[in-house]
Amino acid sequence: MATLIEKDLIDSKTNISTSRRNFLKNLASGGLVVGLPLTACASAPLPGENKNALQPNALLQITSDNTINFYLPRSEMGQGTYTGLTTIVAEELDVHPSSINVINATAHDDYKNIEYGIQVTGGSNSIRTHFLPLRHLAANTRLVIRQAASQQLKQPLASIQTDDGKIVVNGKALPYGEFADFANQLEFPEDAPLKDKSQFKYMGKNAPRLDGLAKSTGTAEFGMDVDFEGLHRAALKRCPVFGGTVKSLNADDAKKMPGVKSVVQIHNGVAVIADHYYQAKNALPKLKIEWDRPETLSKFSSDSTAADNGKGWFKTALDSDESTNAFEQGDGLDALKLADTVVSGEYWAPYLAHATMEPMNCTAKLDGDKLELWVGSQAPDLAKFAGAYYADVPKDNVTVHSTFLGGGFGRRSATDFVAEAAAIAKASGLPIQLVWSREDDMQFDVYRPAAMAKFKVGLNKEGLIDSWTVKRSGPQIMPYTLDNIVDGVMPSFLPNGMVDWMSKAGYSIFDSLTVDHASVEGLYEDYDAKHKSSDHVTVDPGLPLGYWRSVGHSYSGFFKESMMDEIATLQKQDAVEYRLKHLTSNPKLANTLKVAAKTAGWKQPLPKGHFHGVATHASFSSFASQITEVSVKNGQLHIHKVVCVIDCGLAINPDIVKAQMESGIIYGLTAALYGEITLKDGAVQQSNFHDYPALRINESPEIEVVIIDSDDAPTGVGEPGLPPIAAAISNGIFAATGKRLRSLPLKV
Amino acid sequence: MISFELNGQTVQVDATPDTPLLWTIRDHLNLKGSKFGCGMGLCGACSMLLDGESTRTCILPVSAVQGRKVTTIEGIGNPDMLSTLQQAWVDASVPQCGYCQSGQLVSATALLSKNNNPSDEEIDNAMSGNICRCGTYPSIKKAIKQAAKDIKSGNGRLQAVSHYDPSNTNNMTQEA
Ligand code: FES
Ligand code: FES
Repeated sequence: MATLIEKDLIDSKTNISTSRRNFLKNLASGGLVVGLPLTACASAPLPGENKNALQPNALLQITSDNTINFYLPRSEMGQGTYTGLTTIVAEELDVHPSSINVINATAHDDYKNIEYGIQVTGGSNSIRTHFLPLRHLAANTRLVIRQAASQQLKQPLASIQTDDGKIVVNGKALPYGEFADFANQLEFPEDAPLKDKSQFKYMGKNAPRLDGLAKSTGTAEFGMDVDFEGLHRAALKRCPVFGGTVKSLNADDAKKMPGVKSVVQIHNGVAVIADHYYQAKNALPKLKIEWDRPETLSKFSSDSTAADNGKGWFKTALDSDESTNAFEQGDGLDALKLADTVVSGEYWAPYLAHATMEPMNCTAKLDGDKLELWVGSQAPDLAKFAGAYYADVPKDNVTVHSTFLGGGFGRRSATDFVAEAAAIAKASGLPIQLVWSREDDMQFDVYRPAAMAKFKVGLNKEGLIDSWTVKRSGPQIMPYTLDNIVDGVMPSFLPNGMVDWMSKAGYSIFDSLTVDHASVEGLYEDYDAKHKSSDHVTVDPGLPLGYWRSVGHSYSGFFKESMMDEIATLQKQDAVEYRLKHLTSNPKLANTLKVAAKTAGWKQPLPKGHFHGVATHASFSSFASQITEVSVKNGQLHIHKVVCVIDCGLAINPDIVKAQMESGIIYGLTAALYGEITLKDGAVQQSNFHDYPALRINESPEIEVVIIDSDDAPTGVGEPGLPPIAAAISNGIFAATGKRLRSLPLKV
Repeated sequence: MISFELNGQTVQVDATPDTPLLWTIRDHLNLKGSKFGCGMGLCGACSMLLDGESTRTCILPVSAVQGRKVTTIEGIGNPDMLSTLQQAWVDASVPQCGYCQSGQLVSATALLSKNNNPSDEEIDNAMSGNICRCGTYPSIKKAIKQAAKDIKSGNGRLQAVSHYDPSNTNNMTQEA
């Protein structure tokens, strides 16, 4: 398979800097399109390979005893892809979704995310990118089974029909499996026609989630539930400041604690291994460790008021002349000079932790030079590479067993916890399950970056937007993920040294070259303006970063929609109508806004003291508008209702789309009302749900979701429900109190 | 040795008395349905019924349950025999990631055992100790109301199994 990457590397022999530049730029644009075919990769064996089964590639298998196995290429973390992708397969295969045996896939080339070239689940693209390839795969599979039946039963192909996993001919119904072996001998077709929407039996219809039964009976297996004879538990003590290393260690007292089997030092700390988790955890405080602390991060404190520290640092950078342009249209910034009025606004969003319900964990078993990993990961192949590197075994010797994920939200696309587990298994020689405490999870996350942004918006005489300019200061995510990703996209013949060099040098190379799209996404795209510019300046204390549900949109939705509300208010215009005037080239977003206004009764009388707030935002190829109903009494915010309208193309399972909107709103409300990670001398101060609260059922508002009926191909749902909510609340608070809140979390 | 009743069976366990009940059940007795979320009694992922009350077991030493009745999600029902709440959970597709759901079901079971017609506020009160990071709260409310209706009309059961033996999954007896 000649990929973009390989070509780059060949070129790189002659011109290495150009190749790195392209490589990093490709990563930055989020578009490392490697053009992977969804057919078998000749090199790697298929999972569960079976000679008598029909198995066109690593995704689908029909055995002669009529088991239909679907190897789920994306990770199920709550977003519903387990049900969604299976429903797509079921539709064209003509079998009830619940009759398909869904298997959480291991790491394999066939499961790579087509848009990223690595096996990662994120960017709300699972349904969107698999919609056509899976339908073709299933339709072709159904056709080859019909062809096999036609030949075996000596009946014309046209007379061979199907129904729920069975060949139907002359009044007889025979399971697909009976023809699997024969179908396997035939040439696999490539162009079976796809169904028309009017023929859909499963897609577009509500049906219970396929993982609901296991998850309602405590029988779904999460990483934390993996267990086997001889498995030990490990707890790890890390330097409170990320990047610190062990200077000296005395483990004598820890080793005397009950159940403790071993104490080992790894790259980022000291692990205690015991028979049971609570024993390992209890022994951890007995370790006497001195740390070498990293310089830059150790100097950073969120509450510092110094110009080069805390929020002040972000502000200084924002006000400086320094910046890199990420987007320009028309005359860009120059257009502001011609504006009749310039409106500006400055906003802040803090660092955030993911706080998935299941703390990070990974099970590792090293047997000679063979490593087995059990992990709930958004990136099983990256987990495999991290495991190989830290256990020092060849990549092909690593087997990844994928479990359900107790929440992902982007956190589990990082592999730091896998690296630790592999390193502990290597250092101790014991099969171990590394369990993070909630405190570990909160204090050693890969955080949503803090961000500050300043808009300057030029209006013409009519009060309409002529130029939309914005500058953002803050750290960039991509440099932190290079470590993770580089190994995944590099061909395995490359020496480790090169990969090492790239990931270490990656940050500065990256940062001097280009703006990570995630830093500025959502700040400038949605509204019509003749002139636009979007700039970025890096400020980075060195806290590790990662993808957090809706990534840059998680703050840009708040920034942009607060700014728009401020402009409408200044222009004394209706917040919905003013937005609509600037959405002529964004008709789908405009439509969701109109429907939201109608559904929520915008401008209709509300109970006394209740006010509406509105926000609209496009992300992950979908369009979402939200209108909140809030009141503020005695300084206390009440959220009575949220109306959410989503256009995500065809909703494969409308109930799951609805649930994802609720989920995005509630996750976003937690961030909007409470979410704030702060640092003191480089260490994260929050530790558990008492100081990093999560929205509870009694605080959760009524949510009404409207899904726009659409014949278009499906787009994202896991993330698009989140970006508008903070502004929809804040704009409601402004309506209720006249107080404009420009910082998250919202403090009424 | 500490002895207590777990899902209808008397069990004896060789764990130090200060071992939290959650870890005793997960690590020593190998029942993995109850989850670890915070270890501080803040999230409810570890909830079990202790003499019928929904209890945070990550901070409850096993010595405290000597001679008492503990019911985990496994003792409420199983994939072949669902309690009415579990059935409502499946029908309403309540779980997302699913990690908090054992705890949610335990708290909901405790609620309906005392009140088969809970108001929104009563649901909020009974369920506010259980965090769901996936935000399944709207579906939880819906499912609890559905189950309450079924139970009130006499068509429901709060526990589908009276007896759970982890060594023999066929050995489940249906509650009369
Ligand atoms: S794990 Fe017990 S309350 Fe969170
Ligand atoms: S379903 Fe994921 S935490 Fe509740």
